[in-house]
Amino acid sequence: MLFTVQNKPGVRRLLGVTAVAAATSLLFAACSGNTAGGGGTKADAKASITVGGGTITKNFNPFSTTALQPTLGALYEPLYWYNFAKKQDPTPVLASGFSWNDAGTELTIKTRPGVKWNDGQPFTAKDVAFTFNLIAKTPALNPSGLAATAKATADDTAVLTFKSKSLMQEPAVLANQAIVPEHIWKDVKDPVTDPNENPVGTGPFKLGAFSTQSYTLLKNDSYWEAGKPAIKEVRYIPLEAADAASAALVAGKVDWISAYLPGIDQIINSKKDLAYVNTPVMTTVLVTCSNPARGCTGPQTDPAVRKAIYYGMNREQLIKLAGGGVASDASPTLLLPGRDDSWITDPNLQKIPPAADAAMANKLLDEAGWTKGADGIRAKGNQRLSLTVQTVTGWSDYISINDTLKQQLAAIGIELKPSQVSWNEWNAAQTNGKFQLSLDSVGLGASTNPYFTYNGRLATENTADVGKSASAGNFARFSDPKVDAALKTAAGTSDEATQKTQYAEIQKVFADQMPYIPVYVNSMLTEFNTSRAAGWPTKDNLYAVPASWKAWDLGVVLKTITPVG
Amino acid sequence: MRYLGQKLAFYAVACWAALTLNFLIPRLMPGNPVDLMLSKLATRGPVTPTTRAAIEAMLGTESNVSLWRQYLTYLQQLGSGELGTSIAYFPTPVSTVIGQTLPWTVGLIGLAAVMSFVIGVLLGRAAGWRRGSWVDNLIPFTTMLQSVPYFWLALLLLFLLGSTWPVFPLSGGYDVYSVSPGFSLAFFQSVLYHGALPALTIVLSSIGGWMLGMRNMMVSTLSEDYILTAEAKGLTPRRIRSRYAARNAVLPSISGFAISLGFVVAGSIVTEAVFSYPGIGSALLLAVGNNDYALMQGVFLIITLAVLGANLLVDLLYGVIDPRTRARS
Repeated sequence: MLFTVQNKPGVRRLLGVTAVAAATSLLFAACSGNTAGGGGTKADAKASITVGGGTITKNFNPFSTTALQPTLGALYEPLYWYNFAKKQDPTPVLASGFSWNDAGTELTIKTRPGVKWNDGQPFTAKDVAFTFNLIAKTPALNPSGLAATAKATADDTAVLTFKSKSLMQEPAVLANQAIVPEHIWKDVKDPVTDPNENPVGTGPFKLGAFSTQSYTLLKNDSYWEAGKPAIKEVRYIPLEAADAASAALVAGKVDWISAYLPGIDQIINSKKDLAYVNTPVMTTVLVTCSNPARGCTGPQTDPAVRKAIYYGMNREQLIKLAGGGVASDASPTLLLPGRDDSWITDPNLQKIPPAADAAMANKLLDEAGWTKGADGIRAKGNQRLSLTVQTVTGWSDYISINDTLKQQLAAIGIELKPSQVSWNEWNAAQTNGKFQLSLDSVGLGASTNPYFTYNGRLATENTADVGKSASAGNFARFSDPKVDAALKTAAGTSDEATQKTQYAEIQKVFADQMPYIPVYVNSMLTEFNTSRAAGWPTKDNLYAVPASWKAWDLGVVLKTITPVG
Repeated sequence: MRYLGQKLAFYAVACWAALTLNFLIPRLMPGNPVDLMLSKLATRGPVTPTTRAAIEAMLGTESNVSLWRQYLTYLQQLGSGELGTSIAYFPTPVSTVIGQTLPWTVGLIGLAAVMSFVIGVLLGRAAGWRRGSWVDNLIPFTTMLQSVPYFWLALLLLFLLGSTWPVFPLSGGYDVYSVSPGFSLAFFQSVLYHGALPALTIVLSSIGGWMLGMRNMMVSTLSEDYILTAEAKGLTPRRIRSRYAARNAVLPSISGFAISLGFVVAGSIVTEAVFSYPGIGSALLLAVGNNDYALMQGVFLIITLAVLGANLLVDLLYGVIDPRTRARS
């Protein structure tokens, strides 16, 4: 009763607050019109495209493993470029030719004439020699273990001398090393941590404006390849999450991005200018901790169990349910069907039949002494045929593989228990061998030569006992003297016929042991907006791996595309 | 003075304990940064046994140094303000990463928290003053908004206001296409525009608590004898409401607010993840994903100091705001 009369000022004030809030939101709304509209028109007029990348931190150091995406390819270039998308001879970039001596210890490189650094200085063989000497004397810059001393014997000739026969170093030297200018890098105090804020390279682009939320590359007017690049400006923005990526793509904010977007066809069809290309190059495998001599335990140490899993998979169903219909058939050799066909000797090993072969799987398990129990799960002695398979929380396609496999393998009497862990935990378990089965993919090698696929995954020197870190890649703890000998022979020659017979040997052992069980070749989706630039790689014209994160190839794509309108 | 000394000593011990936990917890996580970087490299190219040595040399992480030695080095570096080098943002120093990201977070979340507090307390005061009015009826609605999981509310608003009706931008701190950071009107407008939606979600989801708390305190204060006395003295209702009722009713909210300010840094993770905002929460998320101990420690340090500092401030300020606590000590 006291309060009835006193209320009015209160209400009036409250209205005041609301009015201010409303005015503020109007102001925000007013800003929106300006900024969004201005961005679009400005970008078109400058023949500019936008690329989605990872977190931005100023690092253009071509030796750093965490350098920004365009450092390798757009700013700096290698001597040769290998196309992983199809079988193709190496393309000379900064070199015009190379030759080995007979002993395989000396590599002579002829450099391309007429190339200039983007500060105007000429590029010579001295820069090549300097780059390799810098790596040799700085262990932290040397992830590929190069041990060569280099000398420029003429302005256009550099000679690399290795301590031992090093034919297999060829891809690392020629195609995976950015050449840096001697006149800049000789004064860099710490080439390991230097962020190289003003990159001077030979690439088709040079650095424009930089902030931690976006940076631009500008056309290098003095680029050696006449008429290239046609694009004047490339902007990079951080876009890591798939939902942010698909939103930006549909809104026309980004022209080139590589991300797995569920329901890709629906997204692409929602806008006229969107396109995508699928380049499956990485094989998804079930890594098994296969070697009891190295400390692995569990039923998967029995090769019969691993092969039964191999035969028990219905890959047609897996590709449909987990691969989103965009994954493709794998080869039981871990190589890529199509591109690597010539490396696969046995025609039976070209492609895995898509349907499951339950009869074969059951026969293998019966012969190995695994008998079916009352619950439908096989057992041997008092060991049940029950396996744990790990994958990473949030990797939805791999989680569906596990769930589908669980049902498929139950049909042949194998119990599969899927588990999801954080990336860190998954990675630690895999490198330390503390797992039974683990879903992973076979990454890209230094070149398409199968040596790089087999050496990391199968060589004894690349593994370690369970409990120790096998970070070089042989997570299966696989070890076989025949494979080791074949790898050594293959590494010692550049004759493809000899290599092929050695790889056939490895493929035979591999098919018999199956330390990595191939599932399918995973899709690698890259999405484009074709309204601002044309000439992107397509399914029929894979002139480079189209992924926006792929070192070297991104430079090739950026210098090939042309502005629209 | 003795009161102040006791407080400071207590906070010094709390600070040490926090710093020590800060050192230990990241190291109890599975995996280590070297293996992590190796695995990421392996998806992009070949990795050999020598790669491991190269990366260890590059990161300066020696895996075989004892925990105790690492702890001593950690304390020493803290003393000199050196926070180490980030691995996720290699080779940027942690202090630079924090310097780049903290202003965004403090600006967005800090302002949103202040806005939410001020609006909530004013609405609560009105609701308590005039029970049963339309303002009072807002309370169930705002508490419902608060009980909705924050990330869901944020995603929903982002979907509706960012994608379905594109009133607000989808992500980022400013429009990277047309403005460059600096002291220009265009940049500030862009920042305000990009911050509006995240700020709105924070205000919507936290206003209910302030409003409810203030309203209930207001109601119980209004039944105090001194309010009746004030009325009897013939003071204007406006004076009674603000000087007698609201001033006493707001005390618990103020201490709650100071503590919530301390959590501004920590509370930003979900907001920044949803809106891809370039603040310290995004940096922390990235640090955890990369086992970046140095950056995690740096961010935790900021969070610890912010919470402790806010608490200390409340302890000290309370004596000033509330004369009763002053008289007792």
